[in-house]
Amino acid sequence: MNTRKPVAGEQPAEGPLDVLIIDGEEAFAAACRRTLEHAGFRVATSGTAGQGLALAETRHPGVVLLALELPDMPGAEALGALSRQAPAAVPVVASAHGTVDAAVESMKLGAFDFLAKPVGAEKLVETVRRGLNLSVLRKEAAGPGAAGAQAPDKYDLLLQGLDVLGEAYSLGLEKRQLLDELTWLENEAKYHAESLGQIKKKERVILDIRNDLLESDVIMRRYDFHKNALIQVLLDVQEKFRWLPRHVLNWISGRLNIPVRDIYTIAHFYEAFSLEPRGRHIVQVCTGTACHVRGASELLTRISATLGVKPGETDARQAFTLETVHCIGCCALAPVVQIDSRYHRNPSKSQFEKIIQSLEKEEVDTCPA
Amino acid sequence: MKNVTLEIDGRTVEAGEGTTLLKAAQSVGIRIPTLCNDDRLEPYGGCRMCMVEIETSWGRKRLVASCVYPVEEGLRVQTNTERVRRIRRMIIELLWPSSQVYAEEYGVTGSRFEPGLTDCSLCGLCLRYCTEIKKENRIYFEGRGIERRPALVEGSELTCRACGECFTLCGSGWIASRC
Amino acid sequence: MSRIETPADLARLRDQAVARRNSRGTWVAVCAGTGCRAYGAEALAESLEKEVEKRGLGKKIGVRKTGCHGFCERGPLVVVQPSDVCYLGAQPKNVPAIVDKLEGKDAALDKLLYVDAENGKPLARLDEIPFYKHQQRVVLGDNVHIDASDILDYIAVGGYAALAKALSGMTPEEVLQEVKEAKLRGRGGGGFPAGRKWETTRKAPGEPKYVIVNADEGDPGAYMDRSILEGNPHGVLEGLILGAYAIGAGEGFIYVRQEYPLAREHAQKALDQAREYGLLGENILGSGFSFDVKIHRGAGAFVSGESSALMSAIEGHVGEPRPKYIHTSEKGVWGKPSCLNNVETWANVPHIINRGAEWFTGMGTEGSKGTKIFSLVGKVNNTGLVEVPMGITLRDIIFKIGGGVPGGKKFKAVQTGGPSGGVIPESMLDLPVDFDELTRVGSMMGSGGMIVMDENTCMVDTARYYMSFLAHESCGKCVPCREGTRQMLRILDRIVAGEGKEEDLAVLEELGDFMEDASLCALGQSAPFPVLSTLKYFRGEYEEHIREKRCRAGVCTPLIAYDIDQETCGKCGACLRACPVAAVDQSADKVFTILQEKCIKCGACFTACPEKFSAVIKVPAYAIGKPSAGNPPPAGKQV
Repeated sequence: MNTRKPVAGEQPAEGPLDVLIIDGEEAFAAACRRTLEHAGFRVATSGTAGQGLALAETRHPGVVLLALELPDMPGAEALGALSRQAPAAVPVVASAHGTVDAAVESMKLGAFDFLAKPVGAEKLVETVRRGLNLSVLRKEAAGPGAAGAQAPDKYDLLLQGLDVLGEAYSLGLEKRQLLDELTWLENEAKYHAESLGQIKKKERVILDIRNDLLESDVIMRRYDFHKNALIQVLLDVQEKFRWLPRHVLNWISGRLNIPVRDIYTIAHFYEAFSLEPRGRHIVQVCTGTACHVRGASELLTRISATLGVKPGETDARQAFTLETVHCIGCCALAPVVQIDSRYHRNPSKSQFEKIIQSLEKEEVDTCPA
Repeated sequence: MKNVTLEIDGRTVEAGEGTTLLKAAQSVGIRIPTLCNDDRLEPYGGCRMCMVEIETSWGRKRLVASCVYPVEEGLRVQTNTERVRRIRRMIIELLWPSSQVYAEEYGVTGSRFEPGLTDCSLCGLCLRYCTEIKKENRIYFEGRGIERRPALVEGSELTCRACGECFTLCGSGWIASRC
Repeated sequence: MSRIETPADLARLRDQAVARRNSRGTWVAVCAGTGCRAYGAEALAESLEKEVEKRGLGKKIGVRKTGCHGFCERGPLVVVQPSDVCYLGAQPKNVPAIVDKLEGKDAALDKLLYVDAENGKPLARLDEIPFYKHQQRVVLGDNVHIDASDILDYIAVGGYAALAKALSGMTPEEVLQEVKEAKLRGRGGGGFPAGRKWETTRKAPGEPKYVIVNADEGDPGAYMDRSILEGNPHGVLEGLILGAYAIGAGEGFIYVRQEYPLAREHAQKALDQAREYGLLGENILGSGFSFDVKIHRGAGAFVSGESSALMSAIEGHVGEPRPKYIHTSEKGVWGKPSCLNNVETWANVPHIINRGAEWFTGMGTEGSKGTKIFSLVGKVNNTGLVEVPMGITLRDIIFKIGGGVPGGKKFKAVQTGGPSGGVIPESMLDLPVDFDELTRVGSMMGSGGMIVMDENTCMVDTARYYMSFLAHESCGKCVPCREGTRQMLRILDRIVAGEGKEEDLAVLEELGDFMEDASLCALGQSAPFPVLSTLKYFRGEYEEHIREKRCRAGVCTPLIAYDIDQETCGKCGACLRACPVAAVDQSADKVFTILQEKCIKCGACFTACPEKFSAVIKVPAYAIGKPSAGNPPPAGKQV
């Protein structure tokens, strides 16, 4: 994509398109194309549904402006074919018969918007722009494979534009000289950066969830997806994730065919389960009887004050969770606190602080970033 | 099914093997107070209002919950002794202010205790109805011990409002207030 | 490594295992139980191994990581075999000296030997140390000799001989009869005769039948079962297989707390090895008897130790007790006859089969035979696990074996039976320990927790502690247990805060009787015992809290305050540095004072103050003009 703005009237011969206009009404198609090209889009036109659909398949337009009245195919049928052949393309329907019924009908068939001819230039550009934003989302959602050559080009364009912008700023050009172009580009870039960020974020979340569910499948497989193993499965999930994420519980419910209700009952009943994320380190003050008579309450008060969290809570940085436990069977060390897998006998404030600092240091040391 | 003969409050009662003492008593018109019992549901044994005194044929005496205890040959049952009444009075006091249906009958006019959960006696009727009859599994108990409270599975409000069959089972209106 | 098909195979394997052990003249047994691991036993064992290797002694001296030796107070523990010389509190820096000694050289190791409290003389051998001398270690005895992760070690000391004997020469009825004649009672709490329980399951209709090991030791302050399962898992497994044979069960479970990772690991390893050798699975020792075992992890709930709750959990449901008018031994897991015994009970079985019921009934009292393991903890010098014959007095356990109360403090009471038990005052210390005697005085045997309390332990606080534990560990199903513990806890909270009322004590007793009568399961029925027994023997302490707002033990934080005695204060500033909330103030002329409004009463300054000054003191809260004031205790689940 060497020129961002092709010469009006020339059909771009290859490469992806922003907009494909499929309309038998030549004058209207040409007018739309001019308007859209002026606004900076790569546009191609086609007079028939047959040729248009073929183009849609090969050139991956972001938006297809489709007339309902076509020489070779009813508009509704063309709309259906389009959604099958180029699912990522966002169809916008245009019709001279701008009735409410026709609009509703085409929206039902999957049209993104309905434009009644004649169409105002501003309205057209605005609709196409919105449609293109949606198409980026669609391509993104269809996965990296499906987005294929599309997405990078789109971003290349933006990146190039941003380079131009940078150049303009660095050359100290009067911004006003490039006003229209630059303002548009700037806004567009910001917008896309934002939606790209959101999409990436969403994608990460979805991938994370998918991984969680795969992990929980691995766990359930250990027990042959047996219902009776629910508590064992939850214990493994707790160990793996350090808590019981809601989506995993729902997934297990479906997989093992156990009502969500029963899973929550169990998750709430047993000490071992946590329905909130726990910190990276678990500080467990033993409150068994031997520890109690040797001053576990005082130890707990002291540790709680030092960490700044109450028992059962996690600090804001998700580093430490403070818990109490009924007897870890180290009664000779009473009162005892277990920090991760190590035991400490009645640490003083400064000893405890040292332990915590060394744990945090280890974390920094092992962190790749 | 085999029948067994036992004595309830001095009356001879015949009942099928496996029948609970509560049902056997009801069959001859002896009323035993209950809070968590519903004939459509599996016996639960949670409220303990239906405690009765029994004496086995070999002379062993004990207190049992009549809603879950099965009839035995030669059993002697007393449903309204002072010991039993004392237990029932204490239960009413402990659940105060909810579940006051039997307060008057047992002469309880208030409680010496600060209330625990004010709007639920944790009898489990709604939960069990939802599970056993409706098979909807919408209600569960969260936590245990003194932390135990009823909870609705997330997103159940609409379904529950549409069904609402358990609302009438609940003496305190807990579910109705949450749907 | 091949499958053992016959008792003769087992005997051959034993010969091999013994020969392997005898190939080295000396073994160093390092205790690697959870307690000693916490003291660094693993590093110690590793450095011993390295040192032995370095000196080229690998063929003469072996190092073995074993299960818990019991004397946890003085860990890490090292015992040299066969001389039985015991080193206490050994650290890696002592390793060269220990190995020197093993080589026959002179080495200064006196610091690691037990010193007799009376004459100051070092006592080297295990059987000379009072802690061990007065014990009778039947179940725990093998712990010091075997590496729990190696089945051959267990076989070498005679393991699986009872199984071979039973499968080759005894009918299931004869095995059952032997256990009945031994009068073995369940070690988990109630003391129900194990033989009778087995017989009920054996006779109950329904197939398959299950046998279950209860290793959900939830009793805080007790760790007998953990130490057995960690230290000698095959012993428990052998008992379980014998039980399954006697009962006619084809499948077993070991229900183990997830808080005991090491016990779980060792139990799993034991199952895998036993299966590999053909001691589990199809046609065990060619007898035609088949049996296998699964491990089920408990997710942490005290009530899960109750048999019906435990079985619910195995089925994958919430561990809530069911009304049990039909016993689980008849209708247990999935409605099938299921025999549940705790770890210690099962571990006794191989010994009974090996040595006969007569030998077993030779130990103990009329009603309670054999030995019992206690975890002796709290305010006692020799914290640890002790195994004693039934009928020994509490005084012998606490003073002869336990070495009495540390720091010259006065003994106040001993608590047995955990949250379902009660306290026993000094006047009853000559009580012989058995199931019935302990119940008679308002406590119970329980699973074997024995917590020693001294003058600095507050009895009201102790009762409150147990009640708080139970209120949160109750499942919450039945009204008496849930609401009873709730109200008892509230009343006790008020009393320890100095807000108790005169009539509270009567209400506590009324609630207690009610809970005992009306609760659904044993947890609720016994929940009031810690309160009722402290009320019975230490009513005066309750009354002091209520009437005088005074806690004589200085434990109930709302009733006490910390203060600095300016006359003895050495002005070292240790208290200032120790305080986590900056509640110690230092004036220009180095006068340290405690800012009462900031103080959270964590006792850090009290602990930090050097003994030579002992300037930080506990005073009654009213003494500094703040009756029943101060910050509430932390809002933890169980403080």
